[in-house]
Amino acid sequence: MKPRTSASTQQLLSRLLPRHPLHWVILSLLLAVSPHLLRFPAWASALILALCGWRLLSLSYPRLALRQWMLIIIMLPTAAVIFLTYGTLFGKTAGSLLLSVLLAIKLHECHKRRDYILLIGLSFFIIVTNFLFSQSLLTVAFMLLLVQVLIMSLISINDEGAQIDLKQRTTLASRLLLQSLPLMLLLFVLFPRISGPLWKLPEEQQTAVTGLSDSMTPGNISSLIQSNAVAFRVEFESETPPQKQLYWRALVLWYFDGRTWEQGKTNLTPWPQIEAIDDYVTYTITLEPHNEKWLYGLDMPVEVPSDLRYTNEFLLRTRKPVSHLYQYTLTSALSYQIQPTLSPWEKSAGLNIPTVNNPETFALGQQLAKTYQQPRKIVQQVLNMFNQQNFHYTLNPPPTPGFDSVDQFLFETRKGFCEHYAGSFALLMRAAGIPARVVLGYQGGTLNPLNRVMTVRQKDAHAWTEVWLDGEGWVRIDPTASIAPQRIETSLDAALSPEEDRPLHMQMNSGLMRELMFYWDAIDNRWNQWVVGYDHQLQQDFLKAMFNQDVSFSDLVILMVSGFLITLLIIVLLIVRPWRSTTDVDPVVRLYQRFCQKLARHGLIREQHEGPIDFCQRAVRTLPEQKDSITLITRLYTRLRYAPDPQERQLQQLRQLVSGFRVSKGNS
Amino acid sequence: MASELPLLPRSLERLIKQWASRRLNPPSSEAIINRQRLYILPTSHGVTIFTILLLILLGAINYENSLGYMLAFLMGALGFLSMVHTHQNINHMKLQLANPRPVFAGQLAHFPLTLSFKRPGMHPALQVQAENGDAICAHLLDDTAIDIMLPVATHQRGYMPIPRLKIFSEFPLGLFHAWSWVQLESHCLVYPTPAPSHLPVSHTSSDPLGQQSSESTGVDEFAGIRKYQPGDPPSHMAWKAIARTGELQSKLFTSDSSNDLHIRWDSLNPGLDTEKRLSILCRLVIDAHDHGLSYSFDIPGTSLPSASGQHHRDLCLKALALFGTQPV
Repeated sequence: MKPRTSASTQQLLSRLLPRHPLHWVILSLLLAVSPHLLRFPAWASALILALCGWRLLSLSYPRLALRQWMLIIIMLPTAAVIFLTYGTLFGKTAGSLLLSVLLAIKLHECHKRRDYILLIGLSFFIIVTNFLFSQSLLTVAFMLLLVQVLIMSLISINDEGAQIDLKQRTTLASRLLLQSLPLMLLLFVLFPRISGPLWKLPEEQQTAVTGLSDSMTPGNISSLIQSNAVAFRVEFESETPPQKQLYWRALVLWYFDGRTWEQGKTNLTPWPQIEAIDDYVTYTITLEPHNEKWLYGLDMPVEVPSDLRYTNEFLLRTRKPVSHLYQYTLTSALSYQIQPTLSPWEKSAGLNIPTVNNPETFALGQQLAKTYQQPRKIVQQVLNMFNQQNFHYTLNPPPTPGFDSVDQFLFETRKGFCEHYAGSFALLMRAAGIPARVVLGYQGGTLNPLNRVMTVRQKDAHAWTEVWLDGEGWVRIDPTASIAPQRIETSLDAALSPEEDRPLHMQMNSGLMRELMFYWDAIDNRWNQWVVGYDHQLQQDFLKAMFNQDVSFSDLVILMVSGFLITLLIIVLLIVRPWRSTTDVDPVVRLYQRFCQKLARHGLIREQHEGPIDFCQRAVRTLPEQKDSITLITRLYTRLRYAPDPQERQLQQLRQLVSGFRVSKGNS
Repeated sequence: MASELPLLPRSLERLIKQWASRRLNPPSSEAIINRQRLYILPTSHGVTIFTILLLILLGAINYENSLGYMLAFLMGALGFLSMVHTHQNINHMKLQLANPRPVFAGQLAHFPLTLSFKRPGMHPALQVQAENGDAICAHLLDDTAIDIMLPVATHQRGYMPIPRLKIFSEFPLGLFHAWSWVQLESHCLVYPTPAPSHLPVSHTSSDPLGQQSSESTGVDEFAGIRKYQPGDPPSHMAWKAIARTGELQSKLFTSDSSNDLHIRWDSLNPGLDTEKRLSILCRLVIDAHDHGLSYSFDIPGTSLPSASGQHHRDLCLKALALFGTQPV
């Protein structure tokens, strides 16, 4: 019974594998779109899948084929909805979505080889739209897999019905792919890179990337903690500062409406003042694209690149939202005094309180001010309160809805995350008459021992406060440090109570997993710096290092073309292997040819039609004295060539005889 | 008919053909496609994919997207290599032609063609097309040779030389069209088109087929056994004698000479034009053969005594095919 089952499984397998070229086209399209399906709105992904599935059905049941007018009815509203959702048809997401839907519709108008090939070509285009969202190493691995499938599709479209089995098809496609890789690498390195875009990129409401937002509402930082995505990477030039000093500032929030902290109106303070600077650190940050204009700097940046805007709140801004991997180098001072004199704008904004909300907090602040009078003491008193009273640090605090959220937190729930502590602390300070503001950014980071690169992830998002004290300027106060000091000194994981539900990435943070993550992170970082970030500047640096001199544009073009042609030639030679035909000839034949050449030099030329034995007889008649050697060579040759079991020993003998064979002069 | 080469205007195609015809191989019954006679151009699909590549490259430059560059270059490299593979798919291919069986004018002549490679390898989607004919496709998957029958339309009686062949392939990716023109030497004997089977009586001075009844009822007398000669009908095989002697023997019959059929040029209406006449004679020969009759054959230039059998028929038809032409 066994062969029968294997035959039926084979049958099943061959039924599952794509047979019709259109199967391959649908498979290619689905694979190319697949990374998008999670990004697109659910209705769009469902539509694309349904269109592909329907085409598969209508291939077997032509009655079900969609008519042209039906396709138009599907297409027009889809385009309208895309336009209404994204405000454009050509932005990053809108464009990819529109293209994907159009291709899925085109599947239904796809009957000839020409259509198949067009669809395969456009699938290549869809792969590129994936790169607008992710350029990670995994994406490239997926791209190679996809290209393999696309090549196999092209083969099956063009094989004219040849019964090439799947294995041969796969081998051929992977051979093509492997042969192309060196050429691709060469072009990638040498193709002249241009700095700056050719035309203005279409504006689109930027899609939300997981990351900080420009306001703080209870719950929005603790939701970030769920993400293990990289925010940015840092390479310090010298020693890495201690964990508790790693405050990466990005935003300063002044305005509070009772629930949400926002940046408020433009800060009119004339110029940032910084004094008593010490403990410098210089570092380079590689920022993952976040589609925002703000950058991150270690408290407090003092030397910044000239093309960045440096605000009076010691923040860094770019001119355009960061949509590519972005690298910049900063020097910060870990000891500093900022704004020793408070500007009128800062004073009014730093003391502004919405009086209608949170009355209990306001009363508490007033009372503290009356009791302790000195600002330092008030600060300390509130920190003590967090530390000693029944406050809890948790990722999942009970909700505090409405505009009295601070009152609810301070006097009822008493369970909160950094945003609760920072927000309520700043409000209390303002109520007590101390100017205060909230700062958003990241705190800490994971140092990879393999490459000394620190990775700051979304889970390191943090909120803290700055209060203005007479004679000290704006001083950083992190209320979280008094409720959960481990958060600041080591990690969030250490700060949370053991019973707390942790995000998945923290649960997996065991020994081996951690080690592997470090390796992966180091590779990812290399990839980002050398491949994703390979631009005009990096290309120039690389070529300079290779050739010890600057390479001009025209030299680069010549280098690229000649390098390409040489590599192509080598690969073509490896494919064609023109030398193979000579080595293919039987060594026995070669030896016999040598023997014939020796005779030919003395006028004994073997005719085309003459068999070896006839030739032997003729040769013996002409050279009777060498009858023995001629007949022996001929006999060995015929035996080696035509006998069923030629022996290695006989070949040796033939070799010796032929090389020892001489035509004696006297007889010729 | 659609243009033979992709993407080219007719005038340019004609120029290329003229140029290539000066580079054709010397006619012989076999030919090997080599680099000098193998041409390659992108197909329209190739141009489509190339356009998409350019769009991707433009996007990559604009968005400074490294992976976009990478994909564009990968596509470019694949394109170049697919050109090499397409070229290799038919380079060094050997074509050997055998003589085709004769056909009647208007039928398709089938030229037996052997495609082979010295080294075994995969050569799918090899296409051969006779000028003005349909392409036929052959796949060499893990063999070194394959036999195909190349259909060529016939119009005129006589020896028809095989038209110039175009061998082409677009495998593996369909982005390039590699082709070679090959002139082989082979002829197909084309018999005249037989006239319709029900001949109007007025065309013949006597009705030759009228004698059919007397022939079929007439009893042939067994006259003896002779050595088999090509053309003897299989029904006349003397099986007992063959079994005894081990040699092929035929039974010999004498038939009444008055019942014998004469297919003669002169027996037809003298007003008939030559081609029409040949066509009618052709029909007569076929019918006589099909009925197993013996017939003598007599046209100007050829005169055959009464006989029957395949060989006799072929001789008669050949004489009709070549009537008035120089034998090749």
